[in-house]
Amino acid sequence: MFSKVKKNTYGYLFVAPFIIGFLLFGLYPVYNTIALSFTNTSMMKPNADFVGLLNFTRLFADHTFLTALKNTWSLWIMNFIPQIGIALLLAVWFTDTRLKIKGGGFFRMLFYLPNLMMPAAIAALFFSLFSYYGPVNQFLVREGIIPAAVNFIESAPTMRFLVVFIQWWMWFGQTTIVLMAAMTSISVSIYEAALADGANGWQMFRFITLPLIKPVMIYVLVTSLVGGMQMFDVPMLLTDGRGSPSNSILTNNILMYIKFRSSQGLIGSASAIGVVVFIMTSFVALLIFYALREKSNKNVVEES
Amino acid sequence: MIKNYRLNNTFQRFFIYLFLVILLVITLVPVWLLLVNATRSTTQIQQGISFIPSHYIVSNYQILLSKGLNLPLGFLNSFTIAASVTVLTVYFSMLTAYGIVVYNFKGKKILYNSILVLVMIPMQLSIIGFYQYMSKIGLADNYLSLILPSIASAGAVFFSKQYLESIVIYDLVDAGRIDGCSELGIFHRIMLPIAAPGAFTLGIFSFVGAWNNFFNAFILITSRDKYTLPMLVQTLRGDVYRHEYGAIYLGLAATVVPIIIVYFIFSKYIVNGISLGAVKE
Repeated sequence: MFSKVKKNTYGYLFVAPFIIGFLLFGLYPVYNTIALSFTNTSMMKPNADFVGLLNFTRLFADHTFLTALKNTWSLWIMNFIPQIGIALLLAVWFTDTRLKIKGGGFFRMLFYLPNLMMPAAIAALFFSLFSYYGPVNQFLVREGIIPAAVNFIESAPTMRFLVVFIQWWMWFGQTTIVLMAAMTSISVSIYEAALADGANGWQMFRFITLPLIKPVMIYVLVTSLVGGMQMFDVPMLLTDGRGSPSNSILTNNILMYIKFRSSQGLIGSASAIGVVVFIMTSFVALLIFYALREKSNKNVVEES
Repeated sequence: MIKNYRLNNTFQRFFIYLFLVILLVITLVPVWLLLVNATRSTTQIQQGISFIPSHYIVSNYQILLSKGLNLPLGFLNSFTIAASVTVLTVYFSMLTAYGIVVYNFKGKKILYNSILVLVMIPMQLSIIGFYQYMSKIGLADNYLSLILPSIASAGAVFFSKQYLESIVIYDLVDAGRIDGCSELGIFHRIMLPIAAPGAFTLGIFSFVGAWNNFFNAFILITSRDKYTLPMLVQTLRGDVYRHEYGAIYLGLAATVVPIIIVYFIFSKYIVNGISLGAVKE
Protein backbone atom coordinates (compact mmCIF):
# COMPACT_ATOMS: atom_id res chain seq x y z
CA MET A 1 0.00 0.00 0.00
CA PHE A 2 1.09 3.60 0.50
CA SER A 3 4.12 4.53 2.40
CA LYS A 4 2.61 6.50 5.26
CA VAL A 5 5.95 8.03 6.14
CA LYS A 6 6.51 9.27 2.62
CA LYS A 7 3.00 10.74 2.44
CA ASN A 8 3.44 12.41 5.81
CA THR A 9 6.23 14.62 4.50
CA TYR A 10 3.53 16.27 2.38
CA GLY A 11 2.39 17.86 5.64
CA TYR A 12 5.28 20.31 5.35
CA LEU A 13 4.06 21.39 1.94
CA PHE A 14 0.63 22.17 3.36
CA VAL A 15 1.84 24.19 6.33
CA ALA A 16 4.72 25.93 4.50
CA PRO A 17 2.73 28.97 3.26
CA PHE A 18 1.47 29.62 6.79
CA ILE A 19 4.97 29.40 8.25
CA ILE A 20 6.48 31.64 5.56
CA GLY A 21 3.60 34.11 5.89
CA PHE A 22 3.97 34.13 9.65
CA LEU A 23 7.72 34.73 9.54
CA LEU A 24 7.32 37.59 7.04
CA PHE A 25 4.18 39.30 8.34
CA GLY A 26 3.91 38.16 11.93
CA LEU A 27 7.28 37.51 13.52
CA TYR A 28 9.52 39.95 11.66
CA PRO A 29 7.28 42.97 12.45
CA VAL A 30 7.42 41.99 16.13
CA TYR A 31 11.22 41.80 15.98
CA ASN A 32 11.32 45.10 14.06
CA THR A 33 9.07 46.84 16.58
CA ILE A 34 11.28 45.68 19.44
CA ALA A 35 14.41 46.78 17.55
CA LEU A 36 12.90 50.20 16.76
CA SER A 37 11.93 50.73 20.38
CA PHE A 38 15.63 50.91 21.28
CA THR A 39 16.29 53.65 18.70
CA ASN A 40 15.32 57.28 18.19
CA THR A 41 13.91 56.61 14.71
CA SER A 42 11.46 59.21 13.46
CA MET A 43 9.94 60.17 10.14
CA MET A 44 12.55 62.94 9.93
CA LYS A 45 15.43 60.67 10.81
CA PRO A 46 15.17 57.26 9.13
CA ASN A 47 18.73 56.20 10.03
CA ALA A 48 18.53 56.56 13.74
CA ASP A 49 20.91 55.81 16.59
CA PHE A 50 20.66 53.16 19.23
CA VAL A 51 19.52 54.85 22.43
CA GLY A 52 19.19 51.88 24.77
CA LEU A 53 16.28 52.07 27.16
CA LEU A 54 15.79 55.81 26.75
CA ASN A 55 12.36 55.46 25.10
CA PHE A 56 11.19 53.25 27.96
CA THR A 57 12.51 55.41 30.78
CA ARG A 58 10.92 58.46 29.14
CA LEU A 59 7.66 56.58 28.72
CA PHE A 60 7.41 55.63 32.38
CA ALA A 61 8.28 59.16 33.42
CA ASP A 62 5.49 60.48 31.20
CA HIS A 63 2.21 61.15 32.96
CA THR A 64 0.27 60.88 29.70
CA PHE A 65 1.43 57.31 29.20
CA LEU A 66 0.56 56.33 32.77
CA THR A 67 -2.87 57.90 32.28
CA ALA A 68 -3.34 55.93 29.06
CA LEU A 69 -2.36 52.68 30.80
CA LYS A 70 -4.72 53.36 33.70
CA ASN A 71 -7.57 54.33 31.34
CA THR A 72 -7.15 51.27 29.17
CA TRP A 73 -7.31 48.98 32.19
CA SER A 74 -10.25 50.68 33.86
CA LEU A 75 -12.26 51.00 30.63
CA TRP A 76 -11.72 47.30 29.97
CA ILE A 77 -12.54 46.09 33.49
CA MET A 78 -15.63 48.28 33.75
CA ASN A 79 -17.01 46.81 30.52
CA PHE A 80 -15.91 43.23 31.15
CA ILE A 81 -17.63 42.72 34.50
CA PRO A 82 -21.17 43.62 33.33
CA GLN A 83 -20.45 41.85 30.05
CA ILE A 84 -19.61 38.49 31.61
CA GLY A 85 -22.31 38.96 34.30
CA ILE A 86 -25.15 39.55 31.87
CA ALA A 87 -23.82 36.92 29.48
CA LEU A 88 -23.76 34.30 32.27
CA LEU A 89 -27.30 35.21 33.28
CA LEU A 90 -28.60 35.04 29.70
CA ALA A 91 -26.74 31.83 28.94
CA VAL A 92 -28.17 30.14 32.05
CA TRP A 93 -31.69 31.27 31.17
CA PHE A 94 -31.47 30.25 27.54
CA THR A 95 -30.04 26.80 28.30
CA ASP A 96 -32.30 26.01 31.30
CA THR A 97 -34.66 23.31 30.09
CA ARG A 98 -37.10 23.84 32.97
CA LEU A 99 -37.54 27.56 32.41
CA LYS A 100 -38.54 26.99 28.78
CA ILE A 101 -37.67 30.48 27.56
CA LYS A 102 -39.21 30.88 24.13
CA GLY A 103 -37.47 32.82 21.36
CA GLY A 104 -34.01 32.24 22.81
CA GLY A 105 -32.55 31.95 19.32
CA PHE A 106 -34.27 35.16 18.26
CA PHE A 107 -33.00 37.19 21.24
CA ARG A 108 -29.55 35.71 20.91
CA MET A 109 -29.37 36.57 17.23
CA LEU A 110 -30.32 40.21 17.81
CA PHE A 111 -28.08 40.63 20.88
CA TYR A 112 -25.15 39.64 18.70
CA LEU A 113 -25.91 42.15 15.94
CA PRO A 114 -23.89 45.12 17.33
CA ASN A 115 -20.76 42.96 17.35
CA LEU A 116 -20.69 42.82 13.56
CA MET A 117 -21.14 46.54 13.03
CA MET A 118 -18.17 48.74 12.28
CA PRO A 119 -16.77 50.07 15.60
CA ALA A 120 -15.68 53.28 13.88
CA ALA A 121 -19.24 53.89 12.67
CA ILE A 122 -20.72 53.00 16.08
CA ALA A 123 -18.45 55.51 17.81
CA ALA A 124 -19.33 58.21 15.28
CA LEU A 125 -23.01 57.32 15.75
CA PHE A 126 -22.83 57.73 19.53
CA PHE A 127 -20.93 60.98 19.06
CA SER A 128 -23.85 62.26 16.95
CA LEU A 129 -26.49 60.94 19.36
CA PHE A 130 -24.83 62.64 22.35
CA SER A 131 -23.71 65.85 20.65
CA TYR A 132 -25.03 69.17 21.91
CA TYR A 133 -27.87 69.33 19.38
CA GLY A 134 -28.20 65.56 19.20
CA PRO A 135 -31.26 63.36 19.88
CA VAL A 136 -30.32 62.52 23.47
CA ASN A 137 -30.26 66.16 24.52
CA GLN A 138 -33.46 66.83 22.57
CA PHE A 139 -35.24 64.00 24.29
CA LEU A 140 -34.05 64.87 27.81
CA VAL A 141 -34.91 68.55 27.45
CA ARG A 142 -38.29 67.97 25.83
CA GLU A 143 -39.34 65.46 28.47
CA GLY A 144 -38.27 67.94 31.13
CA ILE A 145 -35.67 65.57 32.62
CA ILE A 146 -32.95 68.22 32.40
CA PRO A 147 -33.59 71.99 32.18
CA ALA A 148 -31.10 72.73 29.37
CA ALA A 149 -28.96 70.80 26.91
CA VAL A 150 -25.75 69.38 28.37
CA ASN A 151 -22.46 69.28 26.54
CA PHE A 152 -21.93 65.54 27.01
CA ILE A 153 -18.93 65.41 24.71
CA GLU A 154 -17.02 67.73 27.08
CA SER A 155 -17.88 65.67 30.14
CA ALA A 156 -15.21 63.17 31.16
CA PRO A 157 -17.48 60.86 33.22
CA THR A 158 -20.09 60.73 30.44
CA MET A 159 -17.52 59.90 27.79
CA ARG A 160 -15.93 57.22 29.98
CA PHE A 161 -19.34 55.75 30.62
CA LEU A 162 -20.12 55.81 26.89
CA VAL A 163 -16.93 53.98 25.93
CA VAL A 164 -17.70 51.32 28.54
CA PHE A 165 -21.32 51.14 27.43
CA ILE A 166 -20.45 50.80 23.72
CA GLN A 167 -17.90 48.08 24.43
CA TRP A 168 -20.43 46.23 26.59
CA TRP A 169 -23.16 46.74 23.99
CA MET A 170 -20.94 45.31 21.23
CA TRP A 171 -19.70 42.27 23.15
CA PHE A 172 -22.31 40.90 25.59
CA GLY A 173 -24.16 39.03 22.81
CA GLN A 174 -20.98 37.39 21.56
CA THR A 175 -20.02 36.30 25.07
CA THR A 176 -23.53 34.94 25.65
CA ILE A 177 -23.30 32.74 22.55
CA VAL A 178 -19.88 31.37 23.53
CA LEU A 179 -21.01 30.61 27.10
CA MET A 180 -24.23 29.00 25.84
CA ALA A 181 -22.24 26.67 23.61
CA ALA A 182 -20.16 25.67 26.62
CA MET A 183 -23.25 25.12 28.79
CA THR A 184 -25.16 23.04 26.25
CA SER A 185 -22.15 20.73 25.90
CA ILE A 186 -22.58 19.73 29.58
CA SER A 187 -24.39 16.40 29.86
CA VAL A 188 -27.99 16.72 31.13
CA SER A 189 -27.56 13.60 33.26
CA ILE A 190 -25.22 15.48 35.62
CA TYR A 191 -27.98 17.97 36.36
CA GLU A 192 -30.54 15.19 36.72
CA ALA A 193 -28.33 13.45 39.26
CA ALA A 194 -27.88 16.70 41.18
CA LEU A 195 -31.61 17.33 41.10
CA ALA A 196 -32.24 13.84 42.50
CA ASP A 197 -29.81 14.69 45.30
CA GLY A 198 -31.91 17.75 46.08
CA ALA A 199 -29.63 20.46 44.72
CA ASN A 200 -31.20 23.84 44.01
CA GLY A 201 -30.65 26.06 40.98
CA TRP A 202 -27.86 28.12 42.53
CA GLN A 203 -26.01 25.03 43.78
CA MET A 204 -26.19 23.45 40.34
CA PHE A 205 -24.84 26.63 38.77
CA ARG A 206 -22.07 27.03 41.33
CA PHE A 207 -20.90 23.41 41.55
CA ILE A 208 -21.69 22.00 38.10
CA THR A 209 -21.99 24.72 35.46
CA LEU A 210 -19.24 27.07 36.62
CA PRO A 211 -16.46 24.47 37.07
CA LEU A 212 -17.32 22.80 33.76
CA ILE A 213 -17.35 26.00 31.71
CA LYS A 214 -14.15 27.24 33.31
CA PRO A 215 -11.93 26.65 30.23
CA VAL A 216 -14.35 28.66 28.10
CA MET A 217 -14.54 31.40 30.75
CA ILE A 218 -10.74 31.62 30.65
CA TYR A 219 -10.91 31.85 26.85
CA VAL A 220 -13.47 34.67 27.07
CA LEU A 221 -11.47 36.49 29.73
CA VAL A 222 -8.17 36.30 27.87
CA THR A 223 -9.53 37.22 24.42
CA SER A 224 -11.43 40.11 25.96
CA LEU A 225 -8.30 41.26 27.79
CA VAL A 226 -6.19 41.11 24.63
CA GLY A 227 -8.84 43.05 22.71
CA GLY A 228 -9.39 45.49 25.56
CA MET A 229 -5.70 46.40 25.82
CA GLN A 230 -5.85 47.41 22.13
CA MET A 231 -9.02 49.50 22.45
CA PHE A 232 -8.80 52.13 19.74
CA ASP A 233 -11.67 52.70 17.31
CA VAL A 234 -14.38 53.58 19.82
CA PRO A 235 -12.52 56.03 22.11
CA MET A 236 -10.69 57.44 19.07
CA LEU A 237 -13.85 58.39 17.18
CA LEU A 238 -16.08 59.20 20.12
CA THR A 239 -14.34 62.53 20.71
CA ASP A 240 -11.56 64.36 18.92
CA GLY A 241 -9.17 61.43 18.40
CA ARG A 242 -6.87 62.50 21.22
CA GLY A 243 -8.72 60.96 24.15
CA SER A 244 -10.47 64.19 25.12
CA PRO A 245 -11.95 65.51 27.34
CA SER A 246 -8.76 65.94 29.40
CA ASN A 247 -7.28 62.56 28.39
CA SER A 248 -10.18 60.75 30.07
CA ILE A 249 -10.55 58.17 27.28
CA LEU A 250 -6.96 58.20 26.04
CA THR A 251 -5.94 54.55 25.56
CA ASN A 252 -2.57 52.89 24.86
CA ASN A 253 -3.19 52.57 21.16
CA ILE A 254 -4.48 56.13 20.79
CA LEU A 255 -1.30 57.39 22.42
CA MET A 256 0.76 55.13 20.15
CA TYR A 257 -1.07 56.58 17.17
CA ILE A 258 -0.60 60.17 18.38
CA LYS A 259 3.17 59.64 18.73
CA PHE A 260 3.35 57.93 15.34
CA ARG A 261 1.42 60.71 13.56
CA SER A 262 2.96 63.60 15.49
CA SER A 263 4.78 66.22 13.41
CA GLN A 264 8.12 64.47 13.99
CA GLY A 265 6.65 60.98 13.55
CA LEU A 266 8.13 59.44 16.69
CA ILE A 267 8.50 55.86 15.49
CA GLY A 268 10.93 54.88 18.23
CA SER A 269 8.76 55.90 21.15
CA ALA A 270 5.56 54.68 19.46
CA SER A 271 7.23 51.26 19.15
CA ALA A 272 8.14 51.37 22.82
CA ILE A 273 4.44 51.73 23.71
CA GLY A 274 3.66 48.72 21.55
CA VAL A 275 6.40 46.69 23.26
CA VAL A 276 5.31 47.63 26.80
CA VAL A 277 1.65 46.83 26.11
CA PHE A 278 2.64 43.62 24.33
CA ILE A 279 4.70 42.41 27.29
CA MET A 280 2.06 43.49 29.81
CA THR A 281 -0.77 41.78 27.92
CA SER A 282 1.15 38.53 27.41
CA PHE A 283 2.26 38.50 31.04
CA VAL A 284 -1.25 39.03 32.42
CA ALA A 285 -2.72 36.47 29.99
CA LEU A 286 -0.19 33.86 31.15
CA LEU A 287 -0.89 34.78 34.76
CA ILE A 288 -4.60 34.19 34.21
CA PHE A 289 -3.97 30.77 32.64
CA TYR A 290 -1.64 29.84 35.45
CA ALA A 291 -3.78 31.13 38.32
CA LEU A 292 -7.05 29.66 37.14
CA ARG A 293 -5.54 26.29 36.24
CA GLU A 294 -3.99 25.89 39.68
CA LYS A 295 -7.24 26.72 41.39
CA SER A 296 -9.33 24.31 39.37
CA ASN A 297 -7.01 21.46 40.37
CA LYS A 298 -7.35 22.36 44.04
CA ASN A 299 -11.12 22.45 43.78
CA VAL A 300 -11.21 18.96 42.38
CA VAL A 301 -9.11 17.72 45.28
CA GLU A 302 -11.20 19.50 47.88
CA GLU A 303 -14.50 18.33 46.53
CA SER A 304 -13.61 14.74 45.78
CA MET B 1 -46.70 22.50 46.22
CA ILE B 2 -46.80 21.97 42.50
CA LYS B 3 -49.20 24.85 42.03
CA ASN B 4 -46.89 27.06 44.05
CA TYR B 5 -43.92 26.06 41.95
CA ARG B 6 -45.78 26.85 38.75
CA LEU B 7 -46.85 30.24 40.05
CA ASN B 8 -43.31 30.97 41.07
CA ASN B 9 -42.12 29.85 37.68
CA THR B 10 -44.59 32.07 35.81
CA PHE B 11 -43.52 35.01 37.91
CA GLN B 12 -39.89 34.31 37.25
CA ARG B 13 -40.49 33.89 33.54
CA PHE B 14 -42.34 37.18 33.39
CA PHE B 15 -39.35 39.02 34.81
CA ILE B 16 -36.96 37.19 32.54
CA TYR B 17 -38.95 38.19 29.46
CA LEU B 18 -39.20 41.75 30.73
CA PHE B 19 -35.42 41.85 31.17
CA LEU B 20 -34.85 40.36 27.72
CA VAL B 21 -37.15 42.89 26.08
CA ILE B 22 -35.39 45.77 27.83
CA LEU B 23 -32.03 44.43 26.64
CA LEU B 24 -33.43 44.09 23.15
CA VAL B 25 -34.57 47.71 23.16
CA ILE B 26 -31.12 48.85 24.35
CA THR B 27 -29.52 46.75 21.62
CA LEU B 28 -31.70 47.89 18.77
CA VAL B 29 -32.58 51.53 19.47
CA PRO B 30 -29.19 52.98 18.48
CA VAL B 31 -29.17 50.91 15.28
CA TRP B 32 -32.73 51.86 14.42
CA LEU B 33 -32.09 55.56 15.11
CA LEU B 34 -29.09 55.38 12.78
CA LEU B 35 -31.11 53.82 9.97
CA VAL B 36 -34.09 56.14 10.42
CA ASN B 37 -32.02 59.30 10.67
CA ALA B 38 -30.24 58.38 7.45
CA THR B 39 -33.58 58.86 5.71
CA ARG B 40 -34.50 62.13 7.45
CA SER B 41 -33.48 65.64 6.56
CA THR B 42 -31.26 67.64 8.87
CA THR B 43 -34.19 69.91 9.76
CA GLN B 44 -36.34 66.92 10.70
CA ILE B 45 -33.54 65.47 12.81
CA GLN B 46 -33.17 68.77 14.65
CA GLN B 47 -36.89 68.91 15.32
CA GLY B 48 -36.84 65.76 17.39
CA ILE B 49 -36.52 62.01 17.62
CA SER B 50 -38.63 59.82 15.37
CA PHE B 51 -38.69 56.09 14.86
CA ILE B 52 -40.46 56.36 11.50
CA PRO B 53 -38.35 56.57 8.33
CA SER B 54 -38.68 59.61 6.08
CA HIS B 55 -37.77 60.09 2.42
CA TYR B 56 -34.62 62.19 2.27
CA ILE B 57 -32.14 59.43 1.42
CA VAL B 58 -31.35 60.84 -2.01
CA SER B 59 -30.92 64.43 -0.88
CA ASN B 60 -28.75 63.29 2.04
CA TYR B 61 -26.63 61.36 -0.41
CA GLN B 62 -26.31 64.41 -2.65
CA ILE B 63 -25.12 66.48 0.30
CA LEU B 64 -22.47 63.83 1.03
CA LEU B 65 -21.30 63.89 -2.57
CA SER B 66 -21.28 67.69 -2.74
CA LYS B 67 -18.99 67.78 0.31
CA GLY B 68 -16.57 65.54 -1.52
CA LEU B 69 -17.18 62.22 0.24
CA ASN B 70 -16.76 59.53 -2.37
CA LEU B 71 -18.83 56.78 -0.81
CA PRO B 72 -18.85 54.45 -3.86
CA LEU B 73 -15.04 54.58 -4.06
CA GLY B 74 -14.83 53.82 -0.32
CA PHE B 75 -17.14 50.87 -0.87
CA LEU B 76 -15.05 49.60 -3.75
CA ASN B 77 -11.82 49.98 -1.75
CA SER B 78 -13.19 48.26 1.32
CA PHE B 79 -14.72 45.52 -0.79
CA THR B 80 -11.48 44.89 -2.69
CA ILE B 81 -9.54 44.50 0.54
CA ALA B 82 -12.19 42.47 2.38
CA ALA B 83 -12.76 40.09 -0.54
CA SER B 84 -9.02 39.47 -1.03
CA VAL B 85 -8.47 38.98 2.70
CA THR B 86 -11.38 36.53 2.78
CA VAL B 87 -10.07 34.43 -0.10
CA LEU B 88 -6.53 34.27 1.30
CA THR B 89 -7.64 33.60 4.86
CA VAL B 90 -10.05 30.82 3.97
CA TYR B 91 -7.78 29.10 1.46
CA PHE B 92 -4.54 29.21 3.44
CA SER B 93 -6.03 28.43 6.83
CA MET B 94 -7.89 25.43 5.41
CA LEU B 95 -4.67 24.34 3.69
CA THR B 96 -2.67 24.65 6.91
CA ALA B 97 -5.34 23.00 9.04
CA TYR B 98 -5.68 20.13 6.56
CA GLY B 99 -1.92 19.59 6.71
CA ILE B 100 -2.09 19.42 10.50
CA VAL B 101 -5.15 17.16 10.65
CA VAL B 102 -4.27 14.63 7.93
CA TYR B 103 -0.47 14.26 8.08
CA ASN B 104 1.76 13.18 10.93
CA PHE B 105 4.96 15.07 10.34
CA LYS B 106 7.77 15.91 12.73
CA GLY B 107 7.22 19.18 14.58
CA LYS B 108 3.47 19.13 14.03
CA LYS B 109 2.74 19.30 17.76
CA ILE B 110 5.07 22.26 18.19
CA LEU B 111 3.49 24.03 15.22
CA TYR B 112 -0.02 23.49 16.52
CA ASN B 113 0.85 24.57 20.05
CA SER B 114 2.50 27.71 18.75
CA ILE B 115 -0.65 28.47 16.75
CA LEU B 116 -2.65 28.18 19.98
CA VAL B 117 -0.34 30.74 21.57
CA LEU B 118 -0.34 32.98 18.48
CA VAL B 119 -4.14 33.22 18.62
CA MET B 120 -3.77 35.00 21.93
CA ILE B 121 -0.87 37.29 21.03
CA PRO B 122 -1.89 40.83 20.15
CA MET B 123 -0.15 41.22 16.78
CA GLN B 124 -1.63 44.69 16.30
CA LEU B 125 0.85 45.99 18.84
CA SER B 126 3.66 45.39 16.34
CA ILE B 127 1.96 47.67 13.80
CA ILE B 128 4.69 50.33 14.01
CA GLY B 129 7.43 47.84 13.16
CA PHE B 130 5.15 46.46 10.48
CA TYR B 131 4.62 49.93 9.00
CA GLN B 132 8.32 50.79 8.95
CA TYR B 133 9.13 47.45 7.32
CA MET B 134 6.38 47.87 4.72
CA SER B 135 7.55 51.37 3.82
CA LYS B 136 11.11 50.03 3.42
CA ILE B 137 9.98 47.44 0.88
CA GLY B 138 7.63 49.92 -0.80
CA LEU B 139 4.34 48.44 0.39
CA ALA B 140 3.19 51.24 2.69
CA ASP B 141 0.08 52.95 1.33
CA ASN B 142 -0.50 49.76 -0.67
CA TYR B 143 -3.40 47.37 -0.12
CA LEU B 144 -1.01 44.41 -0.26
CA SER B 145 0.20 45.37 3.22
CA LEU B 146 -3.36 44.90 4.49
CA ILE B 147 -4.07 41.77 2.45
CA LEU B 148 -0.93 39.60 2.52
CA PRO B 149 -0.76 39.04 6.32
CA SER B 150 -4.00 37.05 6.08
CA ILE B 151 -1.97 34.14 4.66
CA ALA B 152 -0.94 33.48 8.25
CA SER B 153 -4.02 34.00 10.39
CA ALA B 154 -3.60 31.86 13.50
CA GLY B 155 -7.19 32.31 14.64
CA ALA B 156 -8.52 31.12 11.29
CA VAL B 157 -6.23 28.07 11.33
CA PHE B 158 -7.49 27.19 14.78
CA PHE B 159 -11.11 27.47 13.61
CA SER B 160 -10.39 25.42 10.47
CA LYS B 161 -8.64 22.71 12.46
CA GLN B 162 -11.57 22.41 14.87
CA TYR B 163 -13.90 22.19 11.89
CA LEU B 164 -11.88 19.81 9.73
CA GLU B 165 -11.34 17.39 12.60
CA SER B 166 -15.08 16.88 12.77
CA ILE B 167 -15.56 16.27 9.04
CA VAL B 168 -12.43 14.75 7.51
CA ILE B 169 -13.10 11.25 6.20
CA TYR B 170 -9.78 9.42 6.00
CA ASP B 171 -11.21 6.71 3.72
CA LEU B 172 -11.98 9.38 1.15
CA VAL B 173 -8.39 10.60 1.34
CA ASP B 174 -7.16 7.05 0.74
CA ALA B 175 -9.69 6.53 -2.05
CA GLY B 176 -8.36 9.67 -3.70
CA ARG B 177 -4.84 8.29 -3.50
CA ILE B 178 -5.90 5.00 -5.07
CA ASP B 179 -7.48 6.94 -7.93
CA GLY B 180 -4.12 8.56 -8.50
CA CYS B 181 -5.04 11.97 -7.18
CA SER B 182 -2.11 14.08 -5.98
CA GLU B 183 -2.08 15.14 -2.31
CA LEU B 184 -2.91 18.74 -3.23
CA GLY B 185 -5.54 17.44 -5.65
CA ILE B 186 -7.21 15.52 -2.82
CA PHE B 187 -7.35 18.73 -0.80
CA HIS B 188 -8.71 20.78 -3.69
CA ARG B 189 -11.14 18.33 -5.24
CA ILE B 190 -12.30 16.23 -2.30
CA MET B 191 -11.77 18.02 1.00
CA LEU B 192 -12.51 21.65 0.12
CA PRO B 193 -15.98 20.87 -1.27
CA ILE B 194 -16.80 18.84 1.85
CA ALA B 195 -15.53 21.66 4.05
CA ALA B 196 -17.55 24.29 2.16
CA PRO B 197 -19.98 25.12 5.02
CA GLY B 198 -17.12 25.71 7.46
CA ALA B 199 -15.16 27.64 4.86
CA PHE B 200 -18.22 29.78 4.26
CA THR B 201 -18.66 30.59 7.96
CA LEU B 202 -14.97 31.42 8.25
CA GLY B 203 -15.29 33.55 5.12
CA ILE B 204 -18.08 35.63 6.63
CA PHE B 205 -16.02 36.32 9.76
CA SER B 206 -12.92 37.22 7.75
CA PHE B 207 -14.93 39.50 5.52
CA VAL B 208 -16.61 41.34 8.38
CA GLY B 209 -13.30 41.64 10.24
CA ALA B 210 -11.54 43.13 7.23
CA TRP B 211 -14.52 45.35 6.36
CA ASN B 212 -14.56 46.85 9.86
CA ASN B 213 -10.79 47.08 10.29
CA PHE B 214 -9.87 50.65 11.04
CA PHE B 215 -6.60 50.73 12.99
CA ASN B 216 -4.32 48.97 10.51
CA ALA B 217 -5.67 50.85 7.51
CA PHE B 218 -5.45 54.12 9.43
CA ILE B 219 -1.73 53.52 10.05
CA LEU B 220 -0.78 52.07 6.66
CA ILE B 221 -2.91 53.93 4.11
CA THR B 222 -2.31 57.63 3.49
CA SER B 223 -3.59 58.48 -0.02
CA ARG B 224 -7.04 59.98 0.02
CA ASP B 225 -8.23 57.91 -2.96
CA LYS B 226 -7.27 54.69 -1.16
CA TYR B 227 -9.33 55.43 1.96
CA THR B 228 -11.48 52.56 3.17
CA LEU B 229 -14.98 52.99 4.61
CA PRO B 230 -13.96 53.28 8.29
CA MET B 231 -11.44 55.93 7.25
CA LEU B 232 -14.18 57.84 5.44
CA VAL B 233 -16.33 57.53 8.56
CA GLN B 234 -13.53 59.18 10.45
CA THR B 235 -13.54 62.13 8.00
CA LEU B 236 -17.30 62.50 8.56
CA ARG B 237 -16.36 63.86 11.96
CA GLY B 238 -14.67 66.84 10.32
CA ASP B 239 -15.87 70.44 10.16
CA VAL B 240 -17.07 70.15 6.57
CA TYR B 241 -20.05 68.11 7.74
CA ARG B 242 -20.88 70.18 10.79
CA HIS B 243 -24.68 70.36 11.09
CA GLU B 244 -25.27 68.09 8.07
CA TYR B 245 -26.75 65.44 10.35
CA GLY B 246 -28.84 63.66 7.74
CA ALA B 247 -25.81 63.20 5.51
CA ILE B 248 -23.62 62.03 8.40
CA TYR B 249 -26.16 59.40 9.46
CA LEU B 250 -26.47 58.24 5.86
CA GLY B 251 -22.72 57.86 5.57
CA LEU B 252 -22.63 55.82 8.78
CA ALA B 253 -25.65 53.73 7.82
CA ALA B 254 -24.10 52.89 4.46
CA THR B 255 -21.17 51.18 6.19
CA VAL B 256 -23.30 48.97 8.45
CA VAL B 257 -26.30 48.14 6.23
CA PRO B 258 -24.45 45.61 4.01
CA ILE B 259 -23.24 43.80 7.13
CA ILE B 260 -26.74 43.79 8.67
CA ILE B 261 -28.20 42.31 5.47
CA VAL B 262 -25.51 39.62 5.31
CA TYR B 263 -26.17 38.84 8.97
CA PHE B 264 -29.90 38.42 8.57
CA ILE B 265 -29.40 36.08 5.61
CA PHE B 266 -26.67 33.95 7.16
CA SER B 267 -27.27 34.37 10.90
CA LYS B 268 -27.44 30.60 11.46
CA TYR B 269 -23.95 30.07 10.04
CA ILE B 270 -22.61 33.03 11.96
CA VAL B 271 -24.12 32.22 15.35
CA ASN B 272 -22.97 28.60 15.12
CA GLY B 273 -19.55 29.68 13.92
CA ILE B 274 -18.88 31.93 16.93
CA SER B 275 -18.78 29.03 19.35
CA LEU B 276 -16.85 26.72 17.02
CA GLY B 277 -13.74 28.81 17.46
CA ALA B 278 -14.06 28.86 21.22
CA VAL B 279 -15.39 25.61 22.61
CA LYS B 280 -12.99 22.74 22.78
CA GLU B 281 -14.14 19.30 23.78
